[in-house]
This record gives sequence, C-alpha cells and structure tokens, in this order.
Amino acid sequence: MTNPDNGIYNVAVIGAGTAGTAASIFASQRGLSTIQLGRPSEMSFASGCLDLFSIIPGETPKFFANPWKGIESLLDRNPEHPFSKVSQKEIKAGFDAFSRFMETCGIQYTKENDANRFIITPAGTLKPTWHVPSSMSAGSAALKRKKKILITGIKGLKGFGADQMASTLKSFHPDIRAVTVQFPGREKAGDLMCERLAWDLETPHVLEKFAAVLASHTCGAETVGLPAILGVHRFVELKEKIESIIKKQVFEIPTLAPSVTGLRMKEAFLAAAPEAGIKTCSQSVKKIDMDTEGNFVFHITQGLEKERITAEHVVLATGRFMGRGLCIKDGRIREALFDLPVTGPDSRSLWYERDFFDAKGHGVNRAGIETDPCFRPLDANGDVFHPRLFAAGGILAHQDWKREKSGSGISISSAFKAVSSIRKGS
Amino acid sequence: METEVLIIGGGTTGTGIARDLALRGIDCILLEQSDINSGASGGNHGLLHSGARYIFKDGETAAECAEEGALLKKLAPHCIEDTGGLFVAVEGDDEKYIADFPGMCEKYGIPVKPVSYAEALEKEPCLSEKAISVFSVQDASIDPFMLSLDNLADAESHGAKLLRNSRVTGFEIRKGTIACARVRDIRTGNTFFIDAVQYINATGAWADTVARMADAAIPMIYSKGSLVITQDRISRRVINRLRKASDADIITPGGTVSIAGTTSVEIDHLDDIRATAEEVDHIIKEGAAMVPELSTTRFIRAYAGVRPLVKKENGSGRSISRNYTLLDHLADGLDNFITITGGKLTTYRLMAEKTADMAADRLKNDNPCLTSTRPLPKSAKGEWTEPGKSPKIWSSSPTAGDTLICECEMVSESMVDRIVEALKAEGAAPDLEEVGNRSRIGKGPCQGTFCSFRLAAYLYGKGELSDDQGIFQVRQFVNERWKGFEPLVRDKELMRVELQESFLCGLFSMEHSNELMKGYDDEP
Ligand SMILES: Cc1cc2nc3c(=O)[nH]c(=O)nc-3n(C[C@H](O)[C@H](O)[C@H](O)COP(=O)(O)OP(=O)(O)OC[C@H]3O[C@@H](n4cnc5c(N)ncnc54)[C@H](O)[C@@H]3O)c2cc1C
Repeated sequence: MTNPDNGIYNVAVIGAGTAGTAASIFASQRGLSTIQLGRPSEMSFASGCLDLFSIIPGETPKFFANPWKGIESLLDRNPEHPFSKVSQKEIKAGFDAFSRFMETCGIQYTKENDANRFIITPAGTLKPTWHVPSSMSAGSAALKRKKKILITGIKGLKGFGADQMASTLKSFHPDIRAVTVQFPGREKAGDLMCERLAWDLETPHVLEKFAAVLASHTCGAETVGLPAILGVHRFVELKEKIESIIKKQVFEIPTLAPSVTGLRMKEAFLAAAPEAGIKTCSQSVKKIDMDTEGNFVFHITQGLEKERITAEHVVLATGRFMGRGLCIKDGRIREALFDLPVTGPDSRSLWYERDFFDAKGHGVNRAGIETDPCFRPLDANGDVFHPRLFAAGGILAHQDWKREKSGSGISISSAFKAVSSIRKGS
Repeated sequence: METEVLIIGGGTTGTGIARDLALRGIDCILLEQSDINSGASGGNHGLLHSGARYIFKDGETAAECAEEGALLKKLAPHCIEDTGGLFVAVEGDDEKYIADFPGMCEKYGIPVKPVSYAEALEKEPCLSEKAISVFSVQDASIDPFMLSLDNLADAESHGAKLLRNSRVTGFEIRKGTIACARVRDIRTGNTFFIDAVQYINATGAWADTVARMADAAIPMIYSKGSLVITQDRISRRVINRLRKASDADIITPGGTVSIAGTTSVEIDHLDDIRATAEEVDHIIKEGAAMVPELSTTRFIRAYAGVRPLVKKENGSGRSISRNYTLLDHLADGLDNFITITGGKLTTYRLMAEKTADMAADRLKNDNPCLTSTRPLPKSAKGEWTEPGKSPKIWSSSPTAGDTLICECEMVSESMVDRIVEALKAEGAAPDLEEVGNRSRIGKGPCQGTFCSFRLAAYLYGKGELSDDQGIFQVRQFVNERWKGFEPLVRDKELMRVELQESFLCGLFSMEHSNELMKGYDDEP
C-alpha cells in the first residue's frame, strides 16, 4: 500500500507526535494508503505512558482515580472539550487499536479499564496515567500494594536523584529507600546520558556486572526502581534477566529528555511502519496547496529529488507551538499551515498566569482550533474549512493536556474518530 | 547588639552611608531585609546621568547629577563604563524642546555638543533614519551591584557590619528618643534588638513603612518603572529620547546587554513588583522609534523597580521632584531618627554624605567626609549579574570531570559545593533559592527547566534537602525566573515555555504535591 495505485494517497498525516503516530496506525489499519510526515522530535520527550484523563484543573484541582468518571465530570464543566466529540466506546477502541499495534512492536502495557495508575517520576511526585508500559508496571503495583521499594540512582546521571524521590515519596509511601550506585565501566565519567547506558546494557557482560552491583544493595527491598535505561531494543528480555539475577521485581522510571522510553516508541514505530503500509518521511511540511480536484498537494525532498505528494485527506496533527502547529502572527495565535482561526485569549496579557504552576493552568494552553464533531477544522464563519481536512491531538482547542494528564487520551481518541470518519475515495 | 548608628536598608544609599560613616570613624551596623540591592538599587536602568534629562523640570537635580557623575567617573571608574550618551529626537518630537535643549544644558553646566545625523549614524548605526536632531552628552553606564558591594566592602574594612535577611519590624521609643530597633531574622523568624545612638532610615520606597513604625509617616507615592534586557548589546552609547521626559526614553548599554525602559505606573503597595506584558510592549514600541532594532531583537529578562516620590505638593507620577528627601524628623518629636529617600543612583554619594553629615553632627563627630576625595577601592566581591536580582558573589569556572548542573551557564557540582559551604558558614540554608542567588544557575536559555531539577537532586543527595521540600523549592526557583520572562513571551518564546511546562507539569506533575492523590485507593 506504500505506493498508492493512482499516485494519490488516501491520507497524509502531518505530524509525528502521539496523535500523528496514532492517526497513521489507524489509517493503515483501515486499509487506507497512508503517508506520515514530520520530525519525530517530540516523541523523544515521551514518558512512554499512555495517559487518558485524571485531573480537572482549577482553583482546587480535582483528581480522579477513575478516568471515565473524570471525563464525565470534566464535560459537565467544559462541554467543548475534545472528549465531548468521542464516546467512551470510541476512546476504548482507539486505545485498543493503538496498543495492539505497539504490542506487535514489543511495547506492552499494563492497564485497568476503570482505574488510573501511578508512576513515580524523577521529582518524587506521583503521576497518574492509564496504560503503563510493562517495564514500569511493577512500580505502579508496588505503590498500590505498599511494597518495600528501593530506588536506585546512578552516579553521574544527573536529574535522577534517588534520594530526592525517596524523601519526597516518604509521606505517601513510607517503605521506600534510596541508593546511588556506580555504573560498571563508567565510574569515571562526569556526565552520563541515559541513552548511552541503555546501549551499554545491551552488552551481556555489562548487564551482568550491573545486576551484580544492584544485588549488593537490594537486601530488604521487594521491588527495585531504576532510571529507564534497560536497553533500547531488547528491553523486555533485559529486564527479565536482571530480575532473575537479583531476584527482585524491577521497574523503570522515565527520565528527562532525551528519554529512552520515548526513543523506544519512536524506533518501534519506524521499524513497524513499512510493514503496516505506512510511508514515513521525517520532514516538516511548510506549505500545502490544493489541486483542481480539491486534493492536497505538497512537496518533499528525497535525497536530491523533489517529490510531489498528493493526498485526498489530511490529518493535521502538528501539535502546538513546539510542534509548530500553532504560531503567532501579528500578536495573535494562528494555525501555521492553513492559517485556520484559533480560539483563545485575545491579548497576550491573558496568555499566562503569574504563578507558572497556577492550578488553574494557563489561558494560552486552552487555545486551539475548533472542529466539527468528526474533528474537521472550522473556518472563521464556523463552517467546515475543507471536507477532507481533519485535525487531531494538541492543536485542538478547549483542553489543557499538561494539567489534565490527557495528552495521549486526546491524541489517540481524536485521531481515531477523525480517521474513522474518512471514507475512501470520497 | 549595640552600635553608634543603625542604618536600615542595603541599597546604594545605605551602603554608601555605611562607607561614609565608617571612614569618619563612626561605628555602624547596616540592616537589610533581604539581600544587597534587592530594592530599587537592583531594579534600575544603570544610567549614570549626565543631568541633561532633568534640565527643564529640575535644574537642581540636573546640576547635581552632572557634578556627581563627573566625580564618580574619577573615584569609582571600575564600576562605570564611560560610554558617553546621545539625545535623539525623531520626526514628530517637540521642535521647541529641541531648540531650547542645548541652551538649558549650558545653563546648568552640563556639557553638550550637537552631532550631525551622518556622524551620529557612524557612532551608532542602530539609530532610526527618522532621527531629526542629535546631541552628545556625558552619560555613562554604572553597575549598581558592584558599586554597592564595593561600598560595603570598604565600610566593612573600616569596622562596619552588615546583617542580611534582617528586617526592622518596630522601634521602642522613650520620650522622643528611639531606644532600640526590633529586628526579625526572616529566615529563622527570630526577633532581636539593636541599640543605637542614631537611626538612619535608608529604605527607599519602604521609607514610609519604616517611618510609620516610629510614628513619623512620610506621605509618598510609589511609581513603578519597568525595564527589559536585550540578549545582545545594541549600542555603544546611552541613547536618550530628546523630548520631555516620558516612557521608554532610554536605552543603556551595560556589559554584553542593553537595557531599555522605563515606564511610570502608580502602584498602591510594594508587594510583588514585576513588569507586565503591556509595559514591555510599550517600551519596545516607543523605544523602536529611536532604535528600530528593538522591535526585532531578543530579550532575556524584564524587571521593575519602584521610585519613592515624596509628596511635597499636589501632583503625581513623573511631575513630582525626583530629587532626594532628607528628613531630620524633629517635627515628629524624634531626636535620633533620620530618613533619606528618593534621589538617584547617580547622586547616591552626595545623599550619603548629607545624611552622614547630619548623623555625625548629632554624634558630635567632626571628622570630614572622605568619600568626595578618596577613591572607592575595588573589592573582589562584586560581579556583574543580571539587573533585577541580587548580586552574584562567587564566580569561577568548572574543572574537567566535574558534572555540570547548569549546562546553559556552566555551573558544576564542585561550584555548587563551594557555594553550599559558604552559605553554611554564613549560617544560611543551602537551598535552591540561595544557591540560585549566588550563581548563574537557571539564568540561561532553559530558565531553570532542567537545572532547577538537577540542583534539587544534587542537594538531596548531599542531605541538604529533605521530605518534599524539593517540589516547593523547584516551583519557587522556576517562578523567580518566570517573573522576569513571562512579560517577554511574545512569539518564539512560547515554544520554550511549552517545553518547560510539558516537563514540569505534563510529565512530572510538579504543580501538585502528592497530597492531591492521597486516598486514591479508597475511591471505588
Ligand atoms: C525603574 C527605575 C529606574 C531607575 N534608573 C536610574 C538610573 O538609570 N540612574 C540613576 O541614577 N537612578 C535611577 N533610578 C533611581 C535609583 O535606582 C534609586 O534612586 C536608588 O537605587 C535608590 O537606592 P536606595 O538605597 O535609596 O533604595 P533601595 O535600593 O530601594 O534600597 C532600600 C533597601 O531597604 C530595604 N528595606 C526596606 N524595608 C526594610 C526594613 N524594614 N528592614 C530592613 N531593610 C529594609 C530594602 O530591601 C532595600 O534593599 C531608577 C529607579 C527606578 C525605580
């Protein structure tokens, strides 16, 4: 399906973050010829967890252990939220399809339908999420069952303070302690990077030495938390191997960027995409034109060749400012590719709160594009901008994923609904 | 604690008085509620005025600035960059003002020279092509941090003593004489007393607040002024707008940056002084009339200071005299209380001299003032830091193999170790804020996104932080940076802020403590 018969793709997905990845997967699963474009840079920040929804921001933010109850309550207060356009059934179907695809690439999730789970972050905070990658799930379980946890830091790996995590979590989870160990072969390095260590551990004797170092500290602990460094490709196998040596359960903790967990998702997707019939191109699209049939036309550069791409449908998954889906023109927030109007605060003095961490969240984060019920962007008159243009993910208005912990939830469900609305040849 | 003179307020005025008194052999203690130059002295434009700005409204101030400016260039050259300055009028500016300008300068003894447009453009290529008239004057730029720290160092070497983080909270008064000052250590919360013979209130905008503690209110208006710092230096000289003094008239270069401002906004209270987005836009728009580059350049921080304007007659904002106010408080029935407020950085020495004269006279000490003749010694203490914040006291570079905590500004673990030791020696808590105040951690492009975090992790590892202190300290640290950056977020900056929030909130949920999630098990 990589090369569409008539030279016209059914779908071009612009954007390589969670929403773009999900949209490409869904499109290929529906048998649509699909090309995905965009730099997958944002993926390298990903924790690997798939959040659905857990917090309603506000003067007194409210946490929901049950994401569905959370969404129900959210929609009472914020009826325009993107979740208002997807049913529980559609959200579930989207997550199932997405995680099924990831599982074929070796990334498995632990999930409970009706409950959020917690993961420990390097700040020692608890972050609620829905689908936990299996490399992290022992940590969530240990928190829940009040098991004895040992957090292990690595000397020279800055920004991962085992003591910080244990001290901060103590009042929540008393049975927690910390140790910082030397990484075999890297004792003298001043500065260590997670990715480097992850490659190191793919070498068997390094892994064995590392496990031996761990084993000398794990006495009394039931579960051992490590920074996410357990391999880039063979992470399932490496974790099991360490567990069998130290005879404790092991879990990973996502780290600051660039993170190995994000890298795994990116690599897994890029490896599986061709087989799934998804053509990927890590180029950003700067301009899209229309041909006489109303198809979308743009150019990519392949080596020295400039290639013209035509697509019947476009899914705009270009994200917010970082992804360059949104931009500022003459002091106002606009959509970058089609210059779609953006709902949001009028003047920039309303963009942000004085307190960066204000529990209400910042006004600018709720800005975004308006869509019809199947996620087709609207123009300034409130009409559908183009019958075959869809949008998904962070670019949508009326949500604050960072505060709601709903990033993957919005991305996956809007991508699912958008792609489900595509009729081949329409 | 006892002393001859208690000086309240560690800005340029208070540190100047401490040096002046110490050189006269008078024993004194300087009290500062937070850090040196945490008031207007750390929140100003850094311009050593030639005086030309004040010729129409306030000839006396103009002449004082000219005289003191020339003196400081001789006595404290290491604190000053003698850039020279231009006054520039652009199309539409008041012709009469322009025509009268050179004559008025001469009247008050302020050297001034007309400059042709071609010559001006050669000197300062950034000038607008809409410039219609240019004069050169003897403005310069001055580093107020270095100035205060050097004054303090010289005062200390002559016996004066500084107490930081010490706020005066009241006085005990017996029969018209202040018997002692009540002081709170704002870090420990402990209260102690200081007995002095004379009490000097050099608290700038807080002068009324402190004077009220002695039942000697000083009616004043607070005028907030905001400034923005550019990433790169725009001009060699100070550039002033040649018009009746108003907003966004001045661009002062300093080191590798330029500072543009200011505004004049009347405020009611002194809490949470910060620049706003509207002020920043206004400064950029107005400033760009003289220097168009301002509308395209990058900015690194916005900040604000408060001008205390003592009410003499009716009026508000800029029309009130900016000349200093020296009060003997005899009419308030107090015989050992003196207030000095208002004035300028440029005239700090003169203000300190007049204040010290009054105190010395009351103490029957007739040693002469030495600050008008004796050069200000350069101390190792002062280092240029960003305006709008407290001074950087240590600086050094990282050694090989030393892990970097702040990658933008190259602050390493061993540098943090030294700062922590020094803080402990001072009896201060080695927390994120204090370490931040003494280094460039967090001041680079990431604005604390990564380094606040790494610093917290490092301090936990050393046992300096415990429990969930880190969450609150990272928040406070990031917010301190945010205060100076938020008004500048206009375009590309949104990306950086989004990245920062994605990490700190999206990934790490730092906006809540773990309390929010407590009891989640109980919910069905
Ligand atoms: C926006 C702006 C721009 C300016 N630009 C220039 C310029 O370019 N050139 C120039 O010459 N002048 C300029 N000035 C004026 C100059 O900054 C001030 O005149 C000068 O800094 C005043 O110093 P100060 O020591 O009197 O006051 P401050 O620096 O305000 O010092 C007062 C100190 O008292 C402390 N304090 C207050 N209450 C207590 C208490 N209860 N106990 C203990 N301590 C206390 C405060 O923390 C503070 O540190 C500007 C002023 C502003 C606001």
